[in-house]
Amino acid sequence: MTAEQHPVTGLDEVVHQRVRLGILTIAHEARRAEFGYLRTQLDLTAGNLSKHLSVLEAAGLIELEKGYAGKRGRTWITLTPAGDVALAEEVGRLKALIARIETNPEAR
Amino acid sequence: MTTDSAPAAGDPRRLLADVRALARRVRVDQRVTWVALLVLAAVTFAAIPIDYYGLDVRCEPGAAADLVRPADASVCTTWRRGAVFYWPPALLLAYTAIAVCYVRVARARGLGTRVLPYAITGGALTVGFAAAWILARLFLGPHQFPYWVLLLDRLTAPWGTIGVALLVLARLERNVALLVFTLGYLAVVLVPVTFGVHFAWADRTEFLPAQVINGTVLLLGAIGFAVARRRHR
Repeated sequence: MTAEQHPVTGLDEVVHQRVRLGILTIAHEARRAEFGYLRTQLDLTAGNLSKHLSVLEAAGLIELEKGYAGKRGRTWITLTPAGDVALAEEVGRLKALIARIETNPEAR
Repeated sequence: MTTDSAPAAGDPRRLLADVRALARRVRVDQRVTWVALLVLAAVTFAAIPIDYYGLDVRCEPGAAADLVRPADASVCTTWRRGAVFYWPPALLLAYTAIAVCYVRVARARGLGTRVLPYAITGGALTVGFAAAWILARLFLGPHQFPYWVLLLDRLTAPWGTIGVALLVLARLERNVALLVFTLGYLAVVLVPVTFGVHFAWADRTEFLPAQVINGTVLLLGAIGFAVARRRHR
């Protein structure tokens, strides 16, 4: 990122969204996360979460794996290497943005 | 958390705070610290009779050394035969059990786990101390060692390796409470407190107080983390 470039210009619209950023964070920290856990932690409906997962899967940032626990179907979400990079970049840009705001309030 | 897109430069502080809070919550949900400490406490307590009955004590009249019996001025050498045969398989089984338990609990909670590096570290340290003990038995006689060698010996003994591996677990879980507990445990292991307990009937009891204290510290830790977990839920 150059000195003149505002951190906002590098933001990825897929990742720079509260819920999707939450999904990536949980999947990164947990190694893999189950659909139900994500739904509870992010306080979403199943349909809403599914839509966000589809966006992330289409962007190649997560992988979905369907399995069973007894007779119950379970969907596991794993971060792809691209998802790992995207999350790290997003967090880096957020930090840069905060630093920019704190050092230069006019930059808002 | 809403489904709205965050404005481009809108609220990065809140977004970052949300990310950190979520990460912290996941880490807390992955932990089963009390199980690890309980298993290690059980292994430590189970070692006591094995170490006692498996201790090979040989006393001969001779020059002064650290294991002199005042009564008959004989020099005793000890070889913890039972401990050498007990600890390596016991610890390997313990680390396997802890890893399996972590994986099962995390899966039931809908999460993956980070326990594998801990189990591998524990296993590697176990193999390391077993090799060190055998080499010491083969190449070192009964000597008086400087204090730092004794500290190193305690650190590479089973109780010390348990602590070192717990440091790895604390790092993996970013668990400050476990880090503080482990540093306290290692202090107890490295500077053994015996409260002056040494039974008169044999040199066999020399290792008992430290082992009882190590096991008790681990057990109290397990209880403490279990209570904290219950309160958190």
